[in-house]
Order: sequence, then C-alpha cells, then structure tokens
Amino acid sequence: MGQIGADTLLGVDWGYASALDDVCGQVAIAGVGETAYTKASGRTAREIGAEAAERAIADAGLQPSDIDGITWSGTFADFDDAAFHEHFGTSHDIWTSPWGGGMAWAATAPYLAARAINERRARHVLNVFPVAWATQRGSMTGGPGEVHAAQSAKQNLEVPFGWFPQPVYFATIMRRHMLEFGTTEEQFGAVAVACRRHANLNPDAVMHGRPMEIADYVAAPYLAEPLRLLDSCLISDGGAAYVTTSVERARDLKQPPAIVRGVGEGYSNTGTHWAQQRAFTSSPQVFSAPGAFAMAGITPTDVDVLTVYDPFTIVSLMQIEDMGFCEKGEAGRFVEGDTLFHDSGKLPFNTHGGLLSHAYVLGIAHVVECVKQLRGIAAAQVPSCEVAVYGGYTGHMASTLVLSRDS
Amino acid sequence: MAITREDFPLPDVNDPVTAPFFAGAARGELLIPRCASCGEYVWYPAEACSCGGTPEWTRVSGRATLFSWAVVQRAFLPAFADKVPFVTALVALDEDGSVRIPTYIVDADPASLVADQPVEVEFRPLSFSTVPGKSVVVPMFKVVAA
Repeated sequence: MGQIGADTLLGVDWGYASALDDVCGQVAIAGVGETAYTKASGRTAREIGAEAAERAIADAGLQPSDIDGITWSGTFADFDDAAFHEHFGTSHDIWTSPWGGGMAWAATAPYLAARAINERRARHVLNVFPVAWATQRGSMTGGPGEVHAAQSAKQNLEVPFGWFPQPVYFATIMRRHMLEFGTTEEQFGAVAVACRRHANLNPDAVMHGRPMEIADYVAAPYLAEPLRLLDSCLISDGGAAYVTTSVERARDLKQPPAIVRGVGEGYSNTGTHWAQQRAFTSSPQVFSAPGAFAMAGITPTDVDVLTVYDPFTIVSLMQIEDMGFCEKGEAGRFVEGDTLFHDSGKLPFNTHGGLLSHAYVLGIAHVVECVKQLRGIAAAQVPSCEVAVYGGYTGHMASTLVLSRDS
Repeated sequence: MAITREDFPLPDVNDPVTAPFFAGAARGELLIPRCASCGEYVWYPAEACSCGGTPEWTRVSGRATLFSWAVVQRAFLPAFADKVPFVTALVALDEDGSVRIPTYIVDADPASLVADQPVEVEFRPLSFSTVPGKSVVVPMFKVVAA
C-alpha cells in the first residue's frame, strides 16, 4: 500500500479513497524529459532512466547537483539515487522515495514531492520511470504477467483454469460491461482508433505512420474474445522523467510551470483479484477522482485534455465514466464519433497515443503529455488547453492528477 | 520472481491455502470456506473472516450462473498451446453470487453461451502436455440442459 499519508480512510463498499493533504497550487512540474520510444532497443532500463533524467533536468534549466530529491517505483528500481550519483558523478544528499515512478504513482509522485518540499527535505524532486520490457521479452523475465502469477490464489485458482493473464482478466470485464450496459465492440474500437489517430500526429509514437480505422479494428483477431490485439497496449522500451519544485521556484526556471492543482488516490479492497471485485465493471477512479477534482476546485467539464493509463480499451472506458465524464455505463456511447479527438472533441483523450499507440511506459509519458499540452507544444495540440488530467491505474488502485497552466 | 515449481501450471495441491479445495474436488465435492461465526463465504480463501471468525471448508451445491467468460484464442503460456481455443469463465455460486470461481466451461459451443445462464460443476482431470504424466481433478462447469 502506498505510504502517502492515508490518515483517514473514506469507507465505501468495495474500496476506499486515501485522504490527502491539500496541496493545490503549491508545486509545479518545471521540467520534463523523454527518451525515444521503441520496440526492443537493446538498452537497459538504467541507461534509459539516466537519459530521461538528463533531459528533464536540462529542460528545467537545472544542473544534476540541483536535484536533491528522487522518486521511483520500488518494484522497478532501475534508476535510484545510487544510479543517479554514479551517472552524474555527484555525491550530495538526496531525499528519496520508492513510492513514485510510473503507473498510478506517476500521478501521486508530485504529491510526495509537495510534502518533501513543504517539509524542506528537498527543493527540486526528480520523478523517473524507465522500462525495457521489449528488450527483456526474449529472456522471459520481467513483464506484467509474471508479477501476478507468483501469488498463491492466482497460481492455484486462476492460472490452471486459463484465467490468466491480464488480457484474459480484462476480456471478461469487457464482456460483462457489454452485457450490463450494452457497450459494443465498435465503441471499444473508437477508443483504439482515437489513440492511433493521435499517434499518427506524433512522430515520437511507436505506432506513428500506422493508421487504423474502425474497419481495421473489427477485422483484427481476438486474443481472448471479446478482447482483440488492438484493444491491448504495446510492449515498449523507453522512459521519461519530470522535475517538481515549488510554484515560486518554477516561475524562475526555464519553462512555463504546470501547476499541481489536485491529487487523488483510491483502492479496491480485492486488490488484483479482479475475479472477486464486487464492482466488476468499475475502477478505483470512483474513489480517487472526486478528491482530486475537489482539491483542484474543478468539475469534469473544466478538463481540456484527459490522459488515462490505458493497458486495454475497457480500462479507458471504465476510467472515463468513473471519473464522471459521463454517467456510469454510458462511456461506450460517449466515446463514439469524434468525442476523444484532440481538435474537435468534447474530451480530447490520450493525445500522445496512449499505451495503446504511443508507448508502454506505464503512464509517465501521459503526465509528460499533460505538461506539453499545457505548454502548447504537444504534437496533437488541444486548442486553449488550461486544465490537464492524468488518471493512473495499477489494478488494485487508481490515482488522479490535475495540472493547470499558470494563470 | 520466476515460477520454479515443475508441475506449473497445474495447481499445487500441497499449498495449504488451497489444498482442501483440490482434496474436495478429488472426492467429487465443491468446497468453499464459510465463516463459522457469521456464515459468510470467504473467497478467495483467507485465514480469517472479515468479522474475525474462522472459515471452514464447506460443501456447496455445485450450481452457479455464468457471470462472464472469454474465448481464449492465443496461448499466453506454452502449456496452453494445445488447449486454445478454450472458454475460461467466472461462475457465480447460487449460494452467494459474490463468490466467483474461475473455471473452464466444457462441452459447449462458445457462440451459444448466454450471460447468467445456469451452470453446474463437473469434476474432471486437468492436465497439460508440458507436464507429462500428471493430472489434477478440478471443478469445471457445464451449461445446465434446458
């Protein structure tokens, strides 16, 4: 469980929200850095992390010696403070936390940074997340499926019955969403088509230059019916990083600050045992998003661009409705047409291409995309982008980050 | 954290957390832990009920409904290469619909399956060509004839 200050648990039936301190308007993302996003690169995650860190620090107009805080994902500790010092030849004290990095924690890392900055433990906090699963795939190590197989209930009660791994879990969730709400395969396809449309506007995206229309989606083979390959995220190498500092300090640095307005975090009581999740067709965004939006003083209609952690199209649909952009069960109808398009859409969505078509770097690039949208430098730029939201998701939990332009 | 057990992905019938489930299946019984204090089913198995009481493995009827399913076309592990396509499902027990058991649906045309239709348990040996000479009797489910 994330040690993010869960002082009060707001109890609700199948999960709960963490009660977070109000950090609205205190910190900002002042620098972002990305590596190339590719299929197998032959590089290590550590090398990728170092490059992302270099670029984020340079983007902020800082030096490595200015970075006195680092956060990363504990289970993927490829670029930690030791790696930082070794790469940059530094030796100064660095505040650290393993509760940052990617996935849901790409949304909550700025909250950790705000706490550290407020407590004067650090001034410039680097959050970094690299991944090299495309390169590692051949050796059958690492990757999302392995972490899950190791648990006893999964090993004996799920895997032997073929209810494994994630594409199968989410295929059954997809089917139940279709049964309960009438969601159609074409509506799932609309999410995939929107992400691919944005990737084709983004030269950095892995699927750039590979257009996909709904007919291509419908013709694509099933991995586990009703889930298709085109409902599923890529496997990639790549990484990104961002630097968080006080708003005051960010205003002195090189780039327009992306102000942190709201952060939220929510958990499912049944964790990654989706089979037993009472609200089978919901995500913990129902617990996470309300607190983040309240902290930011916004409602869903104020959001100019939404990025969500999208390992599968069903996870996107659930988060869209669970965050309140439409009524529960209506996400399929909501995403039809151009709703999600960056230029004409009511809710510009995953404008870099998402995990589906940009790269599988587990959400860190989604936060970077939010920052780029607010700066006006995104490849698929949303007009007049003032408020950007990232919805993080890691199975047992969801998180929400609200960023805005400096007014 | 690689899996080192040689008979993976057969279930580990000696794992104490789930051993009674498979011992019951070998006898043709579907057993689910039920709290001795409050009567709630505790699933997946846990050491204690959320009320604090102790779960005891209890026979259930074997009748359930088809909560959801997937027709797996691609083998995600080498062991499943000669099983695809197959139907993996979650079935919800008649005794308590919040208890969902991952299982195989057998003897059915996948295209004919209907949500929430009645199913009933059928105990069959499960084996994998990658684990030669071994099988474990497990609960599978079939559609109840109309």
